[in-house]
Amino acid sequence: MTVKCVVWDIDNTLLSGVYLESEQAGPEPDPVIAGVLAELGGRGILHAIASKNPPAAARHAARVLGREFSAVECGWGRKSDALAAIARELGIGVDALAFVDDDPYERAEVDAALPQVVVLSPEDAAEAPGWPEFSPPVVTDESRRRAGSYAARRRRQEAERAFGGGREGFLEAAGTAVVIAPAVPADAPRLHELAARTRQFNSAAQVVTQQGFESMIAAAGTDVVTVRLRDSFSDDGIVGGCVVERRGDGAWSVPLLMMSCRAMGRGVIGALLAWLARAAARAGVRTLEVLCVRNERNVPLRLALAGAGFSAAAPTADGRRQAAGPGTPAVFARGLDGPPPDLPAWVTAPGEPSRDRR
Amino acid sequence: MSGAGGRGSGAGPAAPRDGGPGAARGTGPAAVADEIRRILADATRRAKMLRIPAATPLFGDAVGLDSLTGTLLLREIELRFGVDVAAEDVNLDSLATLGTLAAFVADRLG
Repeated sequence: MTVKCVVWDIDNTLLSGVYLESEQAGPEPDPVIAGVLAELGGRGILHAIASKNPPAAARHAARVLGREFSAVECGWGRKSDALAAIARELGIGVDALAFVDDDPYERAEVDAALPQVVVLSPEDAAEAPGWPEFSPPVVTDESRRRAGSYAARRRRQEAERAFGGGREGFLEAAGTAVVIAPAVPADAPRLHELAARTRQFNSAAQVVTQQGFESMIAAAGTDVVTVRLRDSFSDDGIVGGCVVERRGDGAWSVPLLMMSCRAMGRGVIGALLAWLARAAARAGVRTLEVLCVRNERNVPLRLALAGAGFSAAAPTADGRRQAAGPGTPAVFARGLDGPPPDLPAWVTAPGEPSRDRR
Repeated sequence: MSGAGGRGSGAGPAAPRDGGPGAARGTGPAAVADEIRRILADATRRAKMLRIPAATPLFGDAVGLDSLTGTLLLREIELRFGVDVAAEDVNLDSLATLGTLAAFVADRLG
């Protein structure tokens, strides 16, 4: 089924910011998403808005994006209800809708209530023009391959719903394989892409450039790490990475930790944090520190840090005070004196015994 | 993103947002803890969450909160109580146990 209408959230999706928290002029349009709107609009695909903002926010978005939206639903109700209303208004089936929202809760709600809707994060939406769901009947091999990853996600979600056991059991049964490896210069473009696109799992205040990654990969005392993910449903390639500075004072510092949100719920971030703690402990390091800004977007990453035993209240290696400003990274520290965390058998990583079952 | 209310400002309202869906039933720590148990049971699809003691660590094996279930939990707390935990407790220290989280939320309900 080809998508006939894309339903967009406003805050941190169509716009680079939150409407109700912005200054008088209102947030700017997200430049990547603005390009996607224009590209899909050129193919005859409609655009609509579903937002919990007041209607003025939708008018602002339409004005700064310079386009009309075919339907607008603003209100406190469920987004799945808003999508159903939009489909009725436009006279199309719910299965001809796509939904883009930066909020994982909203995506989960629509996914559960309307499984036939194509549900995307803004990061996914940036790639959507290459997928056949958003393309005219003529489909290239290239877009077919990219779309495979979306179709695979649907199949994985259905399998997980049908699976009786818990999350860990499903990851095992799905043949999940996480490969952690030192980055090579050829990885720099993908790492930069992740640094620029990830929001929910990104510790940094600034985007690292491709040249920045190239020089860190070459630098002594700094390790750049890639994380690849595949399972029996798809091979997602590099979905995450981090930068590790091996300091001389008995601490390792991680100034950048990032992961694509499409890997959320698949054990990747937990595996990376566990491996970092194990590798640091093996090297005789006493404290592992992740520098992480605390903004409303990266709550999922901060939850993962808390779950892996990192705390911004814990003492730092050099006893320095925590930065106070919201834009300044806080030091999330984890002591390494206790027993190292477990690493699932499906993780392959430097310094870990090979446990590949294949 | 819902966008409404003081998300991320660190100075969210102390009282529940009126007019929001699913207004919370009780505001004492015990009532809040019961509501959180219900949220956890839904988010993890495990009914035994309804019976966990207040001292249960949320990130430990019993609950196994991760970034996905944690995000759902914080959003439901915001919807039901009007408390944006991630904005008011930027280090998320209140998520140590069910009891500390319930106390943190109840404290902000006055």
